Amino acid sequence: MGAVGMRRSMVMLSRFLHAPIVDRRGHRASLADVAVDPNADCPPVTRIVYRQRGMLVALPWQDRSGEPAPHGVLNVGDLDTGEPVAPEAAAREVWLRRDVLDALLIDVVALRTLRANDVWLEVVGGRLSLRAVDGSAWGIVRRLTHGLVNRDHNLKLVDWTAVEFLRGDPAAAARGAAYLGRIRRLPPGEIARLIEFLPYLHAVELLLLLPESLAAHTLESMTPERQVQVIEELEDTSAVRLIAHMPPDAAADLIARLAPDTARRYLQQMPPAARDRVVELLRYPADVAGGIMTNELIAVPATLTVAAARQALRQQLAAPELAYYVYVVDNERDRRLRGVLTLRTLLLADDAATIEDVMDPYLVAVNPLEPAARAAQRVVDNQLFALPVVASDGRLVGAVTVDAAVATIAPANWRAQAPRVFS
Amino acid sequence: MTVTPAEEASEAFVPVEPPPLPAARPRLGPGIRVNVQGRSVTLRRLRRPPAGVFRLLALLGPGLIAGAAGDDAGGVATYSQIGAQFGYQLLWVLVLITVSLAAVQEMSARLGAATGSGLLDLIRQRFGVGWAFLAAAIVLVANAGLIMSEFVGIGAAGDLFGISPALLVPLAALVVWYLVIGGSYGPVEKIFLAMSLVFFAYPVAAILAHPRWTAVARGAFVPTIQPSSAYILLLVGLIGTTITPYQQLFQQSAVVEKGVARGSYGPERADTYVGMVFSNLMSAFMIIATAATLHVAGKTNIATAAEAAQALQPLAGSAAKALFAVGLLGASALAAAVLPLATAYAISEVFGFPKGVNLDFRRGRFFLGLFTVLVVLGAGLALIPHLPVIQLLVWIQVLNAILLPVILWFILRLANDRRLVGELHNSRADNVLGYGTFALVTAAVLVLVANQLLGLVGVRLLG
Repeated sequence: MGAVGMRRSMVMLSRFLHAPIVDRRGHRASLADVAVDPNADCPPVTRIVYRQRGMLVALPWQDRSGEPAPHGVLNVGDLDTGEPVAPEAAAREVWLRRDVLDALLIDVVALRTLRANDVWLEVVGGRLSLRAVDGSAWGIVRRLTHGLVNRDHNLKLVDWTAVEFLRGDPAAAARGAAYLGRIRRLPPGEIARLIEFLPYLHAVELLLLLPESLAAHTLESMTPERQVQVIEELEDTSAVRLIAHMPPDAAADLIARLAPDTARRYLQQMPPAARDRVVELLRYPADVAGGIMTNELIAVPATLTVAAARQALRQQLAAPELAYYVYVVDNERDRRLRGVLTLRTLLLADDAATIEDVMDPYLVAVNPLEPAARAAQRVVDNQLFALPVVASDGRLVGAVTVDAAVATIAPANWRAQAPRVFS
Repeated sequence: MTVTPAEEASEAFVPVEPPPLPAARPRLGPGIRVNVQGRSVTLRRLRRPPAGVFRLLALLGPGLIAGAAGDDAGGVATYSQIGAQFGYQLLWVLVLITVSLAAVQEMSARLGAATGSGLLDLIRQRFGVGWAFLAAAIVLVANAGLIMSEFVGIGAAGDLFGISPALLVPLAALVVWYLVIGGSYGPVEKIFLAMSLVFFAYPVAAILAHPRWTAVARGAFVPTIQPSSAYILLLVGLIGTTITPYQQLFQQSAVVEKGVARGSYGPERADTYVGMVFSNLMSAFMIIATAATLHVAGKTNIATAAEAAQALQPLAGSAAKALFAVGLLGASALAAAVLPLATAYAISEVFGFPKGVNLDFRRGRFFLGLFTVLVVLGAGLALIPHLPVIQLLVWIQVLNAILLPVILWFILRLANDRRLVGELHNSRADNVLGYGTFALVTAAVLVLVANQLLGLVGVRLLG
């Protein structure tokens, strides 16, 4: 699905908008816009909007039998019975000329952006409905020539069910205007890739349409420049919420790129737990191991039994992206690193054994002040998913993941395309 | 690297030996002290924004490049012709339009930051697809002319080296096309850029030519108008080469590309102003150098690149030709690659077609097709034999000037649309300068067109 062919029964919106409205008494008006109900797959026309005595008024759209003639007129009962359009309510509706025609759209099936060069209506189930959009050059040619120059065979239109449209105004999303929300079905990396093609205000608008955790993941997957641009455009509260949702290393990367005053402001508003992690990471400069590590790890005391450890880890396992290694420490307070085990080992081990018995004590660790490039090289050389970072006093402070290592070593143009293990 | 031996690990509670500190302790920057909820920490990841001169240097970018783009083949030809024909007399126009140019370019940059969209995109958004189509057509015609002029410049540079344009122009077109489509254009751009730096020879040559600085100052600040068609033609050409639709389009996209957000636009103005003043200072030196060498020697019409190159003789002597050729080749090749690329980008964007050099030919038909057509067309037209090179380049600048008012009008309307740009709308001073420029350009163009139509002076312009 996603593409439909054009059919004779379809009506081009740009021509529909030119049709005069005539009521029973012969009074005429010209159509200003057409409102649709966005919640349906093929949104039916709900109201027609026209101008009367300098005011925008609307009449409910009643479908008559058959299709509206594009060359003809729209017959209505009485133009004077139109009710004035309330600006706030109208801003939340979807109007085809104002919101859809010429707008930037995302085709969530073909995963690309396009312009609504024209919009097609069709009678679906007895109701005149929004059916498809045309992103091709023919859409423009047809519109500019008022349909004189046309080509309707072999024309690929994008089915409306595959479309997400954007208004280009972040405030509209914040106000609760109607959107389709189909973009939410895509994985965050894909959304981030599509966002790269959009103007930044569209990008912010799109981000506001996403549920918080998806938005945070999408933000994390964007290029650094885009992140800064988008975050500065958001209200402080939403910006802080998104940053707090991000893994601490990604959040620290982002905050480090902001102006110090902005960074301070965001840090002050973050929830304490998330803030402490991010502040801890921000203490290291970018070019040492501490500057590329994450500090969201899973750690258990060595003295626990395997069964108790499994129990204890339930809570911890929810958040971290690096969930493959369980680091073993002497106790929660001192956090001296003693060994490591994998989740697999933990699952297979005997319930009664202690963690110390099953852990792997052979550890290669990194000092947080080691040069970042060398630490990264060591992660890659050891062919591990991550290396623990241990401070001079033996405390476990974090881990350099293979993702961070690749991002540090790889050339810049390769970085964006590198697959990521822990996200 | 620390690997704990197995024997040690079997003893109870022997922690992993901490990894040794690196032999050379990294030098840690001062970082920034931040007080977060009563706790004071030094955050070394945070960077203090650069201050003073460094702050300005960090901002430079789109404006400087957009400015430099004005000094391409057409620019060199027009400035040389002006210097040769009228000496310092037209310098005042350059001074005046530097202010205009800075104001207009700043509006474009501001539009880019306020909306994150390109100029044609905004025209479609605010004035509808019909006007956007018209604007796109204008940009296409103006830029196609410029692309042709760049290839003419490449051919002329080849001529100076003794290479036949019939050989060099198609070769250059092929190389430019292949580099851009193949995606390996980046490093080559730096070579072109370095080559065009040769034009820095103009200020040196101008000073070495010992111009009469009092005459230069009078030319720059005392307006003089000659009621001759040649004067009007060159005046319009001067405007056309200094303020071009392409520059505004480019500046706006470059600001969008740079990712300037509306909240942090303020300091970016400096970039635009520095870029424009710098660019026009270079232009002024081209005029001065030519005036102080050719005009004073009684050579008042330049027909070939070789003659234009003589302006560099005070500096380079017999090497003037070679020096000029290198600069011309670099500047022309640079623009010959960037112009079709930027045009294809802008036009694909406004109609919503996939854009970018990474596309395969099936998906990027329109973008890659348009790019190819522009390169082929530009190079093809430049190959027409016996072209009056310098005259042709001047005329292409005049064409740009004729199309300029339409684009200016859109920019002014958009920059005043508060729904679109919000807080970043035009100030009164912006509007005075903007509409003043619009009026000036329109008047100059109308005079030229009327003059051409009526043939008042009865002198054939093209020799």
